[in-house]
Amino acid sequence: MSKVKCDHCHLSFSDEIMIKENNLNFCCKGCQGVYHLLKDDGLDSFYDKLGNKTIAPPLQIQNDDLEKFDTENFAKNYIKTDENGFNQVDLIIEGIHCAACVWLNEKILFDTPGIIEANINFTTNKAKITWDSDKLKLSEIILRIRSIGYNAYTYESSIADKKAQEAKRDYFIRMMVAVIASMNVMMLGVAKYTGFFTGMSDEVKWMVHLGEFLLATPVLFYSGWIFFKGAYYGLKNRILNMDFLVATGASFTYIYSLFILFGAKGESYFDSVAMIITFVLVGKYLEVIGKKSAIDTLDKIKSTLPLEATIIRDGIEKNVSLNEIKIGDIVKIKAGDKVPVDGKLLSSSANFDESSLTGESLPVFKKTNDMLYSGTICTDSVVEFEVTKDFKNSTFSSIVTLLEESLNSKPKIQTKANEISKSFTVIILTLSILTFAVWYFFGIDLGFDYEGTNHFEKSFIVAISVIVIACPCALALATPIASLIGISELAKKGLLFKEAKYIETIAQTNVVVFDKTGTLTNGNLDVITSKIYDESKIDILYSLVNASSHPVSKSVKKYLEKNYEVSKVQLNEIKNIEAMGMEAKYEDKKVFGGNLDLLEKFNIKYDFEEKMTSYTFCVDDKIIATFELEDEIKEHAKDLINFLKAKNIQTIMLTGDNETVAKKVAFELGIDDVYFKQTPQSKAKFIDDLKEENKTVVMVGDGLNDVVALSNADVSIAMGNSAEVSLQVSDIVLLNSSLKSLQNAFEISTKTYKFIKQNLGISLLYNVVTIPFAMFGYVIPLVAALSMSLSSLIVVFNSLRIKLK
Amino acid sequence: MINDTLFMMLIIGLIISGILLALFIWGAKTGQFDDSNKMVDGLLFDSVDDLNDAINKEKKVKEAKEAKEKEKSLKENEQKKS
Repeated sequence: MSKVKCDHCHLSFSDEIMIKENNLNFCCKGCQGVYHLLKDDGLDSFYDKLGNKTIAPPLQIQNDDLEKFDTENFAKNYIKTDENGFNQVDLIIEGIHCAACVWLNEKILFDTPGIIEANINFTTNKAKITWDSDKLKLSEIILRIRSIGYNAYTYESSIADKKAQEAKRDYFIRMMVAVIASMNVMMLGVAKYTGFFTGMSDEVKWMVHLGEFLLATPVLFYSGWIFFKGAYYGLKNRILNMDFLVATGASFTYIYSLFILFGAKGESYFDSVAMIITFVLVGKYLEVIGKKSAIDTLDKIKSTLPLEATIIRDGIEKNVSLNEIKIGDIVKIKAGDKVPVDGKLLSSSANFDESSLTGESLPVFKKTNDMLYSGTICTDSVVEFEVTKDFKNSTFSSIVTLLEESLNSKPKIQTKANEISKSFTVIILTLSILTFAVWYFFGIDLGFDYEGTNHFEKSFIVAISVIVIACPCALALATPIASLIGISELAKKGLLFKEAKYIETIAQTNVVVFDKTGTLTNGNLDVITSKIYDESKIDILYSLVNASSHPVSKSVKKYLEKNYEVSKVQLNEIKNIEAMGMEAKYEDKKVFGGNLDLLEKFNIKYDFEEKMTSYTFCVDDKIIATFELEDEIKEHAKDLINFLKAKNIQTIMLTGDNETVAKKVAFELGIDDVYFKQTPQSKAKFIDDLKEENKTVVMVGDGLNDVVALSNADVSIAMGNSAEVSLQVSDIVLLNSSLKSLQNAFEISTKTYKFIKQNLGISLLYNVVTIPFAMFGYVIPLVAALSMSLSSLIVVFNSLRIKLK
Repeated sequence: MINDTLFMMLIIGLIISGILLALFIWGAKTGQFDDSNKMVDGLLFDSVDDLNDAINKEKKVKEAKEAKEKEKSLKENEQKKS
């Protein structure tokens, strides 16, 4: 079977299933349609832009919901009017994978008469569309986007989003001003330091100082404004924070340099001023970006909920917005619709896709009176349900609220550098004041011999030189540089750390709490034992399991493909028997396969017990094959547990499963403690209790049932294939879901933490050595300049050693 | 003499970097750097057609605004007349 590329989406499929047309190949009708549409509209340069990249096949959307975009209710909530009288709407476009997709969407919207402006953000998939309401309806715009295989949802652009966007832009400009100025200052610095060795006339030196002054001033007062603000708010709350240290260090260095510029002898340190601010500001900017992208994800999650729901009051169907739904109302949804609020199913049965909540990809079968959760999708039929919770208190909304809270909550951990900076600031300031007092009041006059300065000036310059020499450059760099390198090493192993500070926490962990399914085990069933009584009928069995997407069928199919030569045969009247199995006709024989309930239904006698999940296949009421399946433990799980044990870290497993299964897995892996039949609440409570005992807790999980526990833990780790909400609340994501990576996370974090401590040691040692010199007035400018740069360089090079094996 | 030349060059250098910085700030404030991914990939879309599109885009916005304003003033005039 040769693989052929689809001419639209560029995904490869086997030759037989392709739709042929002249020399073109398409994987589906959707691709074919979009391809011709683009050709006809002269938009085929899309394919040049796409290059070798692939995109997802176009989304197949029924356009039966279009009228809702033109209702007044909708316009009131989502459409704004700008100053020119044009309409504006914020959308999130689904299906954007590359810059070519953005280009195509913008182009096709732009070519539509009536649309004034269409701007799509590639990173966030958010779009802002301005159009003339006299010429075009919103539904037509949506239809246009759908016609090329993308979909659009509206979202409410929140104030938080706008603020984060503005903050990002503000920080970006401040940072770039600092970076550009620092680079120029450094160039002048080269001239200055060369001057030490080769000699430089006072006039030229003054020029260099002047240039540095002009460049460093905007850095300190414009870019560095953030630190002054941070220091002010810190002082207001009686905290001496890192901002305070940076602000005082930089401004005193600046003042000292001003003295030099306007006549006093010596060297200016404008370059240090610019560099401290720049380095620390880059770190801050990264934090701001993180916050913005968190809000973007939140908006994406929110936009997936429907805008309206159909409710039945007094026998009349009515469309209302979600906030108007009351407890006790009856809501009607169609196949493919999202459940808007929590409720109790009234219809007899239906399947629901709960993947947005649990990460479980298979639909869940529900009967009358079963609970429905908002955010899940009804997959097969029109159902009615009674509302049990209003919109605000429904599952989906409460998760969103939870996430918003976790975004706004203060960081959980006080980092080491911050702790040190507090006492460091106090000590340096005290020393400096002491120096001034001793020099001034006791008239001490050591080493310092600048001509033309009076006693007060002398004492002042010496006091300030103490602060200058204690420049927090190395200290401020110690943690971020090591963390940065640590994080990039971790990223190479498929570990996404959302913030650098988690490296420290991971390195200090006492307890690791695991979820079972999906975390320690694959969550996939695997065939453990099989008995096949009649091998000639394997092809029929293979065709039957092939027709179902149930995990048991899939596992059996995989097992057959691996162990036998199988090929498909024609089955007729394939029927799904809910929660039991499948039934079909092969020639004139009745064939069926499923669990023991199915056998009982057809009155088949069997002589084995169901210890675990089983699958039995019968032809004409005779058992042909039975399989036993079990959830398989993940590769490397045992090594991980042994590794943690060797590091004296306690391991605990929390699972919603029953005792037998839980204990079996725990015993096999050698986990210290196991707690079974856990609810999401009891998991969260458990984590809280551990934290009360002053333990540093890492939680590893994947599903929605772990979300609260994850957000409670000191550090939460989610598998890459987790439910979206779990990814959102977790601090670290294992992109490849491999437990080997988890072990790497511990190894690299410990190593990085060791280097952070070393760096802090180096910068403190540097201060211990140089500050006494400064206090006695022996700071030779050359030594000061060299040692300040050197201490920073040593910290940087030391951090680079993390990369070494 | 040498010092004067040096001084002049320093000041010219600072002025040029000042101008570039101002241009950058203008770009950032008008949102051209908001979307880092689009900015990077967008550089590749520089064919004649793409550049024409960019111009047409600005033209279209301008024209639409003018048309709307005309309409507005027409309406206002009518209201005044009546």
